[in-house]
Amino acid sequence: MRSQVYEWSNLQTNANQLRRLSSDQPVQVTANREYDIFTGGIGNNITKPAETTATQFIVIEDIAASPVLSGAVQIRINTTDYFQNPDVTNMDGIPGLASPYPRGCNSTLDVTVLTATSVGSENILKSFDLYPDVYVLPGQTFQILYTTSIGTTSTSALSTEVVSAFVKYTLYDGPDALIANKLLELGVTINPNNVDWYKRSLIEQQQRSRVAAAAANGGQA
Amino acid sequence: MKNMSMRSQVYEWDASLGTAMTVATSLGQRTSIFVGGVGNNITKPAETTATEFVVIEDIACTPTLFTWAGITDDVVVRGLLQDATTGTAGIAGPRAYVQVRINTTDYFLDPDNIPNDGIPGAASPYPRSINFQPCFNLYPDVYVLPGQVWDALITFYNAGAFVGGTAAANELMAFVKYTLYDGPDALIANKLLEMGISINPGNVDWYKRSLLQAQA
Repeated sequence: MRSQVYEWSNLQTNANQLRRLSSDQPVQVTANREYDIFTGGIGNNITKPAETTATQFIVIEDIAASPVLSGAVQIRINTTDYFQNPDVTNMDGIPGLASPYPRGCNSTLDVTVLTATSVGSENILKSFDLYPDVYVLPGQTFQILYTTSIGTTSTSALSTEVVSAFVKYTLYDGPDALIANKLLELGVTINPNNVDWYKRSLIEQQQRSRVAAAAANGGQA
Repeated sequence: MKNMSMRSQVYEWDASLGTAMTVATSLGQRTSIFVGGVGNNITKPAETTATEFVVIEDIACTPTLFTWAGITDDVVVRGLLQDATTGTAGIAGPRAYVQVRINTTDYFLDPDNIPNDGIPGAASPYPRSINFQPCFNLYPDVYVLPGQVWDALITFYNAGAFVGGTAAANELMAFVKYTLYDGPDALIANKLLEMGISINPGNVDWYKRSLLQAQA
């Protein structure tokens, strides 16, 4: 099991770019459009949609976005959006103001008044904690969707905003993924501690079995 | 040095120390904070001996703030320098990432299982401040088993975060916090690993106590 993060921003040199480059510059983000931070075509992307193999299990533990321009992030597992309105209609997801990235950054980039000083005037802290965590089961596809209801102000790389999104997850692979599935069946929360607990209980069970077998053989192993 | 069981350790790297980093040369390149040839370095690659066990508990680097590209050239935003030229506009700070490598394997991967740049400074900032707070916690920890070589690699993409052609103090930094288990404690750490128990000072002490109780 390994702790993993993915950071996306609308910085790119070319469309559908896989690696970050030192020549990256901001590109426009259209208002009210969902951008998959993995394969959305703008900013840094990965080679294929994020998915788990048959021997992988992912637990998403945190998502966050720039708290500017009314940005929000949504989790989509296969075709189902995780966050929804009370009337079960679609929403943009967790607002960047509730889960800011970077934590402690500013909430406004009002271009009419912006100066270096005004950027430093406030610190947004998180008011949202992704708990319980979100599980991506083996074989599922997942997306993290960034949406801004305002959109960036300009198509010019020298006068538009840079926005970003962030996801933190733990990847369980191989035997740990099997244990994660077992914990899911048992209704136990999947986290590194509980996976370790399950391993220990298996070892203890084996030890008890050996002792019982030795006792049955008249004290000989 | 004589074995001293388990010890909390830190390593801080500053690109301006030792051989100060030339920005243009290192831009977009992975640089070892231990033996990369720039900044303060150590004498040989970081490795564990047969009687050592290292648990990496935190890594961090200089943060970045994403802003508006129209900000005037060469202003300081929250302690980070922002340039206004193409390729650097809209980014205050070095846009730095730090990756952990064990032997030849990178620890942090993208969801398509391809190694990435590592942990962003914006997620795990060093130093931490009101303006830059962590939203990443390295848990589970990273284990460096006896005999393994490990490294922390920093990559940055924004040349506009530097005042000059070479790095100045605090413009690009990295930080690693780890616990070194030595001698008998390294053996216990290996035992805990076999048992599937997290390796931390509390569990090592618990194992020692259970051995003493078994002897009594």
